[in-house]
Amino acid sequence: MIELLNVKKVFNPGTVNENVAIKGISLKINQYDFITVIGSNGAGKSTMLNLISGSYIPDVGSIFINDKDVSKYPNYQRASYIGQVFQDPLSGTAGSLTIEENLAIALKRGKKRGLGLGVKGADREFFREKLSQLGLGLENRLKDRVGLLSGGQRQAVTLLMATMVKPEILLLDEHTAALDPKTAAKIIELTEYFVNEYRLTVLMVTHNMRQALSLGNRTIMMHEGEIILDISSPERDQLEVKDLLEMFARVRGEDIVDDKLLLA
Amino acid sequence: MSYYALLGALEQGLVYGIMSLGVYITFRVLDFPDLSVDGTFPLGASIAAILITNNFNPYLASLFALLAGAFAGIITGVLNTKLKILNLLSGILVMIALYSVNIRIMGQPNTALLGYDTVFTPFENFFGLERFVIAPIFFVFVIVILVIFVVWFLHTDIGLSMRATGDNPKMVRAQGVNDKFMVILGLAFSNGLVALSGSFVAQSQGSADVNMGIGTIVAGLASVILGEAFLEGRSVFRAVVSVIIGSTIYRLAIAVALSFKIGNFQLNPSDLNLITAFIVTFALISPNIKKFIRVRS
Ligand SMILES: Nc1ncnc2c1ncn2[C@@H]1O[C@H](COP(=O)(O)OP(=O)(O)O)[C@@H](O)[C@H]1O
Ligand SMILES: [Mg+2]
Repeated sequence: MIELLNVKKVFNPGTVNENVAIKGISLKINQYDFITVIGSNGAGKSTMLNLISGSYIPDVGSIFINDKDVSKYPNYQRASYIGQVFQDPLSGTAGSLTIEENLAIALKRGKKRGLGLGVKGADREFFREKLSQLGLGLENRLKDRVGLLSGGQRQAVTLLMATMVKPEILLLDEHTAALDPKTAAKIIELTEYFVNEYRLTVLMVTHNMRQALSLGNRTIMMHEGEIILDISSPERDQLEVKDLLEMFARVRGEDIVDDKLLLA
Repeated sequence: MSYYALLGALEQGLVYGIMSLGVYITFRVLDFPDLSVDGTFPLGASIAAILITNNFNPYLASLFALLAGAFAGIITGVLNTKLKILNLLSGILVMIALYSVNIRIMGQPNTALLGYDTVFTPFENFFGLERFVIAPIFFVFVIVILVIFVVWFLHTDIGLSMRATGDNPKMVRAQGVNDKFMVILGLAFSNGLVALSGSFVAQSQGSADVNMGIGTIVAGLASVILGEAFLEGRSVFRAVVSVIIGSTIYRLAIAVALSFKIGNFQLNPSDLNLITAFIVTFALISPNIKKFIRVRS
């Protein structure tokens, strides 16, 4: 279980650029929750994920993972709990290393790294089996550099790397936004497969309203650094995309609508 | 070019190849332009010189040189990662600080090693051969061992993390690696090799001098880039071997340039920097030349 308690994050405090990105939010993420996160640009979605991953340290408040206070841990010390896939497909893998070398790094997440050989013979069999689950033929390309792969293939490998060692929570930050629709659909399909296969707890940011309601069991909406809606199944099942859009319009005090949202 | 000059160039290519391996680790593996090598190279020479002239075992002296270089590398890394000083500036600070330190170590700007035992002495005695024959052979062995060691290291769990750190620090942190530690470790490794190279150069030329480090970084880079131009290769093994090839080609090219004579005109050692600039420029544009030729034909 992950818990955020009154967490606040201010960028550039004390300067003209001071920006309260997260205004004291509290959130309880139960085991096996699959939460979709929506909200307009700049609402603080990425910042919230970065606070959980430890890329940012909160200015106020605490973050607990399995009742352990990790608020002050930098991200590499929390990595054993956390799997991450970013928006940019280049972010999650090292392009100059081979597929098997990237996977070997992920296989050691949360474990001590020493002077043993990174990729051992026995690992290769395991990697091949895992890669074949992606259905992209990558199981035959263990020694290819990741830089040779397409964005979608890299994102699929990143997804594998984020889940190969089971994380307490999988953080997905618009991880299909940079992909073409067909590839994005494939990555979503893989995401669902991994979540079900390993029974993962997930926090997934998306700007696709339909996806936000169809995936997972719970949806939260953020606005100006606050969580303004937190709804779970079965109530969520009644909700439709237009309800979400209306809610957006209301909190912004506007008549609809950001066209990005409508297009989604 | 004479037989002596050729052997000399080969020897230099190999012994400075050790230094170039260090530069490869910072520049190519870590993507960290580390200028402290201009200070750690003579640091290695100074440490070896002062220990050897105090009748220390030359092998131990070389080991201490390596450790001192590694320590200086750690300082560069701490300046950069912990104190948030720009990487170039961190290296420059350590480089200029070491200039004073090296004079302190030796108690003077240079130290002669003539007449003292060096790492070559046991082999000179055993085989009854001159140093100019023994040294290149000795360095071939050292280089083979170091190449194997570096290639092996870069394939260990820590080595993979180090390579990934230079490529994508965000990914590395997300996978639970302390990227700052990797930078510090890589700088220690690199500067250890550079200082070891400095200690060997001092022993083979018979003296250590605070100024012998000037241009180390340029020579190291020239070797790395020349090697890449000659041996295109994506694998770590090819990349590491290409550094040694690049270093050898670089020293041969300089030897050839210095032996040129057109009428009364002859290049001399003070033209070395100019030659180096030409060589590096040529190596840097060579991929474009190759492409240009390919497109044309
Ligand atoms: N590293 C940063 N430095 C300064 N401001 C930032 C930084 N990251 C995000 N912000 C600001 O914080 C706010 C929330 O950003 P973000 O969490 O990226 O929003 P979202 O992901 O919901 O679009 C925005 O106003 C953004 O400009
Ligand atoms: Mg965002």
